[in-house]
Order: sequence, then C-alpha cells, then structure tokens
Amino acid sequence: MNNSFSIKIDGTGEEFSVANDTLLGAALRQGLGFPYECNSGGCGSCMFEVVSGDVKELWPDAPGLSARARERGRRLACQCEPASDCVIKVRLKSDYVPLHRPARVTATLVEARKLTHDLTEFCFQTPEPADFLPGQFALLHLPSVEGARAYSMSNLPADGGTWNFIIRHVPKGRGTAVLFTQLKTGDQIKIDGPYGLAYLRPESPRDIVCIGGGSGLSPMVSIVRAAVRDPRLIDRKITFFYGARTPNDLCTEELLARDPLMAERATVIPAISTPTEGWQGEQGFIHEVMQKKLAAGFENYEFYCCGPPPMTDAIQRLLLLDKRVPAQQLHFDRFY
Amino acid sequence: MNTRVKICKLGDISPGEMRAVDMAGLKPIALFNLDGTHYATSNICTHNIAMLTDGYFEGEVVECPLHGGSFDIKTGEPLSFPCEIALQTYPVIVEGDDVYIEAEVGV
Repeated sequence: MNNSFSIKIDGTGEEFSVANDTLLGAALRQGLGFPYECNSGGCGSCMFEVVSGDVKELWPDAPGLSARARERGRRLACQCEPASDCVIKVRLKSDYVPLHRPARVTATLVEARKLTHDLTEFCFQTPEPADFLPGQFALLHLPSVEGARAYSMSNLPADGGTWNFIIRHVPKGRGTAVLFTQLKTGDQIKIDGPYGLAYLRPESPRDIVCIGGGSGLSPMVSIVRAAVRDPRLIDRKITFFYGARTPNDLCTEELLARDPLMAERATVIPAISTPTEGWQGEQGFIHEVMQKKLAAGFENYEFYCCGPPPMTDAIQRLLLLDKRVPAQQLHFDRFY
Repeated sequence: MNTRVKICKLGDISPGEMRAVDMAGLKPIALFNLDGTHYATSNICTHNIAMLTDGYFEGEVVECPLHGGSFDIKTGEPLSFPCEIALQTYPVIVEGDDVYIEAEVGV
C-alpha cells in the first residue's frame, strides 16, 4: 500500500512528502518552516489552505479552526493527514525552521518522582540522544489514549537520551489517568519531538525573567537550569517567578535543593494566589507579583512564560500593551 | 502626544501583504498594504490576545489566527464573531520613500 503522498506548496516550488504523519509533522521533519504553535489543534497557527487534493482530519472539531476558516477551505496542518497528493497554500517562515528536526522515538519510563499532591516528574529514556532546546515540548503518544498530549521537557538536553516532564494530574483527564495510574517503570510510550519556539535564547543581551504557572513549571525549570549553566549568560540576572494556588502546590524548595547552581545563580520568587494563613511569601497573580518586583525597565528583559491561557493572556496584556515591550522579547507557546 | 515614527521604506511590503511593527515604546502595530495604500492598526485582536499578522489578510479584511474573528483594516471595525470591539487605527504618512505612522511613544 502506498502511504506516501507529495505535498506541493502553491507558488513556492517547495515540496515535501508525508508518510503516516501529519502535514505539520512531516514538513518540520523535512526542515521546512511551517508556522505552528501548540501542535495540538488548539491555537490555529498552523492553518493552511487546500488548493487541490484530499486530506483526512484527525480531529474535525479542533477548536483551532473556525467555521468561517473551514468554509474557506482551510485546515489545521497538525490535525491533517493527506489522503492523496495535494497542493496547499501556506506562507513558510524562517523562524519556524526547526533547529532540531522532530523525530518519533520509543521511550521507556524509568522513574516517576512525586513533587506535590498533583505534580509528578516523569522520566523517560530513549536510545537516541534527547536533542532539544530548553523550553521546547514533545507529543506523548500514550498506550490506549486517542491522540497525542503535548508536554514540555523539564530537564537539560545534555542529559543524553533523557526526557523529563513535570505533569499535573488533571482530574478526569484521560492522558494523565494513564500516566499517573497505569504506566509503570519499564513501560514504553512514543515520544514525538522536539517542538516549540519558546526556547532559551542565550544570544540575547538582556537579563532573563521566567514566569511559570501550574504545570507551566516544566519548561521554565529547563530554561532556568540551562541559563545558569550557559557561559554566555554569566553576567545576566536570572529571575524565576512561579505562581501556584496554595503553598501545597509549590515545589520550588525541592527543585532548588536538587540543583544548587540554580539556587545560587537564580532568584526564585514563588507566589500563591489563594490567601493562606501562615504564608509569609508573595501573594497575588503571578503577573502582578512580577510587575511589583520588577517595577520598571520592562523593555530590558527577555521574558519566557508558560502556564494556563488566562495567565499568558494577562502577561501579554501587561508586557505588550501596558509596558510596550517588543513581542520578540516575549517567548511562550499557546496551549488550550 | 503622538509622534511620527518611521516604520519602513515604500516597497518593503508588497500589495496584499502585512507586517508586524515590533518596536520598544510602541504598542504592537500591524501595517497593511492594500493595493498600494498603507494602513496601520493595532496588531492585537480585541477579543483575546493574538497577533493579527499571524492571521490572514484578504481584500480589506484581516482575520485573527485564533478564533476566526475579523476586522476592516481601513477603519478597525470588527466584522465577524467573536470580535466586538474595534481595533485602534493609526494615521500613515508616506514621505518620499519612507512610511511613517503617528502613534504615542513611550510607556
């Protein structure tokens, strides 16, 4: 059976082949700068237009595609597999050319470390090196779970074939149910990655601010741990704001104890959003705490953030609209 | 107070194209070339934060990449659900080869 199809990009001369893959996955694996963000059907960044040919949609109700866009023949590249050779319209962008081309690998669970009542760090091992940039994410294909789940790595790429993910147990979440209750040490899953543009930019001349909320902790830990080790960033101030609901949801002490260099080089400011008796630290939404602590000169920082959409929206409003920080200095991936 | 800010050269953006203006001290702005005439609006969708220049520009309409809302680039008026609030627009001035906008600069 011939499962390989050719995709031509209208008006560009670009062409790529897709075999048992999404259009987006195949394009990135072949080094094309296909625009995307969440790779999970939620954001709409990978929208393209079908000029000719047929595609099969993996998730026809994906929230990232409006009815109007659908009527106009547009689809999401992360949720489409070709059913024939196709001609499509999309504007490739050089920013999206992957520095490490994503690959599909088999990974073995080697450890699950509980961090809080609902956060656990899952550690997987692959025979291949884990080539990713701090802050990037991967798609996890879990046994008996339909569709992939996107999670950001929490470790450093130099760790050989190690892929760690700090994941929050979502009540009723089918993906996390498998991770938290069924998967055992030695079990295998498929990892597809790396993806994402919200990675550490060590060449930036600015001080670094990381903002994490909830399970947005994972990529921020990777970025902070990489930043404190990068010789190019030796003179930079590194500040990490982490927001949680209550003191029980925080695990920053433990993370710092595990990485003395991070404790020494980075300023870590945890904050809780629910007033709690006996709490001596910062209280409020994490973007408010950041605004209070930084006070001024917002345009002098490189910002990295990850968290629930209300948090990333509030941070964008604050930084882009109120503080007029150039969008290029704000790095995040949008997840829904 | 509004200041005149040089954005690009005439011809940097082809007809039918748009570009994000990303400068410290300016709110995010989208610059459009509609059949040779330049228009500038806020680049942030008024429904939910998203960059309009990551979306689609067709005819006189820019469509947000996130939820498919759209705006008239000449007036900033919202044209389709879920957008209800108009985009801020900015005057564009062409002098010689240079394209300027008038906008408030600074925090």
